[in-house]
Amino acid sequence: MPTPSLLDGLIEALRCMPGIGRKSAQRIAYQLLERNRDGARKLAGALMQAMDQIGYCGRCRTFSETSICHLCNSQSRDRSLLCVVESPADVCAVEETGYKGLYFVLMGHLSPLDGIGPEDLGLEQLETLLAQGETKEVILATNPTVEGEATAHFISDIVRRHALQVTRIAHGVPMGGELEYIDSNTLSRAISGRRAF
Amino acid sequence: MKIALHPCFILHQRHYRETSLILEVFSRDNGKLSLVARGAKKRNASTRPLMQINQKLNIAWTIRGEMGTLTAIEAAGTNYNLSGSRLIASFYMNELLTRLLHKYEPHPELFDAYENTLTLLQQPLNEETILRVFEIQLLQSLGYGLVLDHDVNTGMPIAQNQFYYYQIDFGPTASSPRDRESVKISGETLLALAQKTIQEPLQLQEAKQLTRRILKNHLGAKPLASRKLFNAYLKNQSG
Repeated sequence: MPTPSLLDGLIEALRCMPGIGRKSAQRIAYQLLERNRDGARKLAGALMQAMDQIGYCGRCRTFSETSICHLCNSQSRDRSLLCVVESPADVCAVEETGYKGLYFVLMGHLSPLDGIGPEDLGLEQLETLLAQGETKEVILATNPTVEGEATAHFISDIVRRHALQVTRIAHGVPMGGELEYIDSNTLSRAISGRRAF
Repeated sequence: MKIALHPCFILHQRHYRETSLILEVFSRDNGKLSLVARGAKKRNASTRPLMQINQKLNIAWTIRGEMGTLTAIEAAGTNYNLSGSRLIASFYMNELLTRLLHKYEPHPELFDAYENTLTLLQQPLNEETILRVFEIQLLQSLGYGLVLDHDVNTGMPIAQNQFYYYQIDFGPTASSPRDRESVKISGETLLALAQKTIQEPLQLQEAKQLTRRILKNHLGAKPLASRKLFNAYLKNQSG
C-alpha cells in the first residue's frame, strides 16, 4: 500500500469535523491550499491552542481556559440561582435569554441504554456545590426528552436533600406558533401546565 | 420493501451524522428493527417531538438490506407520562427488549403486553408485580416460557404449601436440587405467578430471584444498566 500523501492526510483529518464528508473535506483542502494558506495557518494555530488550553471549569464543568470560568468568577451574576443544563451549547442558549444566574453543565443526560449513569454527570460535584450554601434555587433546564426528564427528577431529589428550592423550565407552545400545528404531547403539557392569567 | 404505517414503540435512539437519528423500533407486526430518521434533528423538523420512548406511534418505512429508512411517523395516542422509578422500569423493559429480541421476529402478543405494561405503570399498582408479569410474558414470547403449574419430575400439579427447586431451562421439582443453579421457590409463589396475581412481599422476593436468575442466563455477563440506575435512584432517594 502506498504511503498516504500530505494531501490525503489533510483530507482525512478534515473529516473529523461534524457534517464534513469526503467530498466536502476535499473541497476545503483544495480551497485552503489554493486561496487561503494564511487563513489555514491561523486555523491550525487556533486549533492547537484551543485543544491544549481549553479544559473544564472546576465549578460548573463548562468549557473554560481558566480553572474557574468567567461566568462563575463574575461578581455581577446572581449567585443564588443555579441553572442545570445538559451541554455547553445550552449555556449559550440560556445566556441569550438574559438569565443572570450561574450554571452547572452535566455534559449529557441519564441514558441507561447508552451506559450513561449518574456518576458520569458530575452529580457529586453538584452536591459539593450545593453544600457550599450560595445557591438558593436550582433551575432544571435539561431537555424536555424522556431522558432529560429522568435526569431532572434525579437531580431534584438531590436538591431537595439540601432543602433548596427546585424549579423546572416550563414546557409549551413556542412563540409565534399555531396550536393547530403543534404535536399533541407538547399541547397536553401546555394545557396541564397552564397558569392563572 | 415498503411497510405502511403500523403500531410501533421506540426503544432507544442515537445520533447519526449531523441531522439524523437511528431509532431502535419495536413494531407490532415486524418485530424489532433499526430505522434511520433522516433530517430528524433539523431545526424545524416537526416530527422530532414524537421520537421518544414511551409513546405509541404509527411508523412507516422502506427497507433494503439491514437498516430501514423512516418515511412517515405519527402519534397513536398521548405519551405515557412516567417518572421516577416508573420511568426507570420502562428503561428496564426497553433494555431487556433491545438485548433479547431478535431482529425482524414479530411478537404481536409481546407488543400488546408491552403496551399494557406501560398503561399499568401509570396506575398506582405495585410495580414489582407489573414487571414480573411482563418478564414472564417476555420469556414466553422468546420461547423460554416458565413451567409454573406442575412438577417437572413427577408431573404432579404444584401444591400451594410445598417448596420447589426451579431448575433453569427445566422447571420446578420438589426433589432436592441437582445443580447449584436452581432457585428455591414456594408453590404459592409459582401459582401466583401463573395467575399473574403475585402481591405478597415474600412472593415478590422469590419471583424476582427466579426471573432474575433466568434472564441472566439469556442476557449473559454484561450487567443491566437500567438496574444500576435503579439502585442509584433508590440510594439517592434515601439520601
